[in-house]
Amino acid sequence: MTKRSHVKEVAFGRRNRPDVADLPHRIVLKNHRDLEGRAHRIWYRRGAVLVLTVFLALGAANVFGQRPVGHTVSTPAASLELYAPTGLRGGLMWEARFTITAHRDVKNALLQLSPGWLESMQMNTVEPSPLGQASRNGDLFLTLGHIPAGHTYRLFMEFQVTPTNVGQRHTDVTLYDGATKLIHLSRVITVYP
Amino acid sequence: MDIVGRGVVVFAFLYVLMRIMGRRELSTLEPFDLILLIILGDAVQQGLTQDDYSLTGAMLAVGTIAVLQIGMSYANFRFPRLRPWLDGQPLVILQDGKPIEKNMRRERLTVDDIAEAARKEGIGKLDEVAWAVMETSGTISFIKKSDS
Repeated sequence: MTKRSHVKEVAFGRRNRPDVADLPHRIVLKNHRDLEGRAHRIWYRRGAVLVLTVFLALGAANVFGQRPVGHTVSTPAASLELYAPTGLRGGLMWEARFTITAHRDVKNALLQLSPGWLESMQMNTVEPSPLGQASRNGDLFLTLGHIPAGHTYRLFMEFQVTPTNVGQRHTDVTLYDGATKLIHLSRVITVYP
Repeated sequence: MDIVGRGVVVFAFLYVLMRIMGRRELSTLEPFDLILLIILGDAVQQGLTQDDYSLTGAMLAVGTIAVLQIGMSYANFRFPRLRPWLDGQPLVILQDGKPIEKNMRRERLTVDDIAEAARKEGIGKLDEVAWAVMETSGTISFIKKSDS
């Protein structure tokens, strides 16, 4: 406390002393009892509590991720459903489930995953194991093989987020039958710190 | 770099959290509060160091918290105008044996709370108290009337 403000405070204390006995040292009634100039500060605290509550409500509403959501794209040839979270946080373990339903015979199903799927992600397992894996122009290609008309192929991939992997990444999925593109699903994943 | 950044964010968040929780919660350490404190520490640790088990990581995390705490302490000492914001201010909650309801409500205090704190100080009746002041630490100081 500066010398001037200290003098002011002492002088103020003296002015108040006749009112009550034994006023504790450096307690200024105007400020510490009557809350002059600080009564409104309770609203800052209440505002901060409100902000915190909103933050928690957003978390509960899946804004910061973890809960999986389903995306389905359907064409005359096949439909692809991706069930995976779009928001994640560092260190989380998560699953992506791909459900491919062939409306007609898909002779050689290939699943193309953009690099965002594996960038700073630990891939724990892929079930069932694809027939083959390859990289084309930086994308991951999984060979799933033949899916007869009317049949469903379900692929599970388990990941864990590397804690430093913060930000947004494209996690597009494309389904091919050989060289023919059947379905494209555009998607962005957000990793929160 | 990342761990230092997380340390800064965690420190800032906890500082604001402690300020908005109010003093009463900080001063009491009932068994349940103790359990909450342990859970809080554990939850913070996960976010702070995550999967870093290294000694360097631990030193960076602890060092960041320590330096920020020293910085806050220095700011508190050096800039008196910041003190009400950083530490809060004492609050008179009882005068001449009479509770000041408005101020007690502000800190979610009841007369029973004050009476309990008074008993811990060896004061049997609030009438004996000239002043009760809730300090910035959350503890309640009692000044007895001169004739009691």
